[in-house]
Amino acid sequence: MGGYGDVQLMREDGKRLDGRAVDEMREVEIKAGILPAAEGSAWVKHGLNIAVVAVYGPMEAHPRRIQRQDRAVLDVRYNMAPFSTSDRIRPGFNRRSREISKVTAEALESVVLVERFPRSKIRVEIEILAAEAGTRCVGITAASVALADAGIPMKDLLVGVASGKIDDIVVLDLDKAEDNYGQADLPMGIMPNTGEIAFLQMDGDLSPEEYELATEYNFKAAHEIHGLMKQALLDSASGGEV
Amino acid sequence: MAEMVPQLLRQQLAELASQDKRFDGRGRWDSRDIILETDILYNAEGSAKVVLGDTIVYAGVKFDVASPYSDRPTQGSLMTGAELRPVAHRKYDPGPPSPESIELGRVVDRGIRESGCIDMESLCIVPGEKVWRVMLDLHVLSDGGNIFDACATAAIAAMRTAVVPAERFDVGEDFKLDVSSTPIMCSYRRVGGRYVYDACEQEEIGGDERIHITLGDKGHLHSLQKGLRGVLSPAEFTEILAQAGVRCAELRELVHSKEA
Repeated sequence: MGGYGDVQLMREDGKRLDGRAVDEMREVEIKAGILPAAEGSAWVKHGLNIAVVAVYGPMEAHPRRIQRQDRAVLDVRYNMAPFSTSDRIRPGFNRRSREISKVTAEALESVVLVERFPRSKIRVEIEILAAEAGTRCVGITAASVALADAGIPMKDLLVGVASGKIDDIVVLDLDKAEDNYGQADLPMGIMPNTGEIAFLQMDGDLSPEEYELATEYNFKAAHEIHGLMKQALLDSASGGEV
Repeated sequence: MAEMVPQLLRQQLAELASQDKRFDGRGRWDSRDIILETDILYNAEGSAKVVLGDTIVYAGVKFDVASPYSDRPTQGSLMTGAELRPVAHRKYDPGPPSPESIELGRVVDRGIRESGCIDMESLCIVPGEKVWRVMLDLHVLSDGGNIFDACATAAIAAMRTAVVPAERFDVGEDFKLDVSSTPIMCSYRRVGGRYVYDACEQEEIGGDERIHITLGDKGHLHSLQKGLRGVLSPAEFTEILAQAGVRCAELRELVHSKEA
């Protein structure tokens, strides 16, 4: 966290700067099946973040060395568009996007029934078109919807959510100012049906009690988003908006 | 196998052409439906999205303050990049920019630059020291054919709605980027032996060379490009140039209709 505690993020009335309550999430909007060239796709707007995901495959795993005899591998790329942030990002992979791609792939491999597709790979392309804190979580949510849209069997729809701490108070779903000046960030990939966690990162400073509360907020939000994900897939299957 | 499918497709396209038909039932000079939206990306200073049939592209404009080139101390600069990322199609691999994406970025750039619609002098902040650099990025999300026209249309629409973020850089007040005209690109593809406008994915797989024409407000040519293997006659060019004149005017009107 870049926090130095010198920016006040909670208002006198107990609300946050953008008027949200501590356990209130930003608005989430989800569409499935939006990219004609892809086997499965999704568009997720979470606050001011926009993520678009395309899924291709299962296909033969190339290069050969990534192939697994007993299961499919997920080839995940998380990429921020050059115009997605306030300062333009130079196109191409950097260390941050490599790490996010890796842990996202491992999280998704935990929910996709990879044993069904030995020696193959499933390509998941996460493109962040607009970024305002929490893009890795939006990417995970969008990737799950795109995988389901491609008809890839999964144990559950993995939901990306985050909680954090600002002005010593645990809050759900940090926005940009809260992410920049807050004290902690706890992004999670949650499987609402099984209650398990497939993606977990954290930075900053949280007491065990604060971790418990942040996790509680994350699970509550995950159930809410899970409903929106399922509805998006139903709408898409019944020939909804493309 | 990979070579056989295009061969069969080529036969089918040739047969359709002999009956003056197209793969998706369009007339020879017909476009697919095009949808243009502007000012849609929160962090971009200018943005546009084009949906052209199964093709979806975004254009985003960003600015920064840079030193001018020593031979042009009072002029800003324009930099155009195109990304054919693996999100857009099965056929695209990750890695450094491919020759195809470099060509795409450069052809779109030339059309805008050579039309003279950007007054580079208006992008000077302190002569010899500080100028605005305009960075136009083209992001293809779904390649369903004719990404060139989709990108060029999104590009000029994003430029024409862009606002220079001077306040954020502490060099005065924000101002609208001055784009004095609307250069428009139209692309033609040889399919089944004859040229068609706005080729779809199958027509690209089973087609030959392509021609990109960028016309300015007065119908003047500002950029031409022939890509891929194949040759054309002067008479064929005359025919598509006349078609381009008609279509560019329609697309220019579409771009103007999306300006606030």
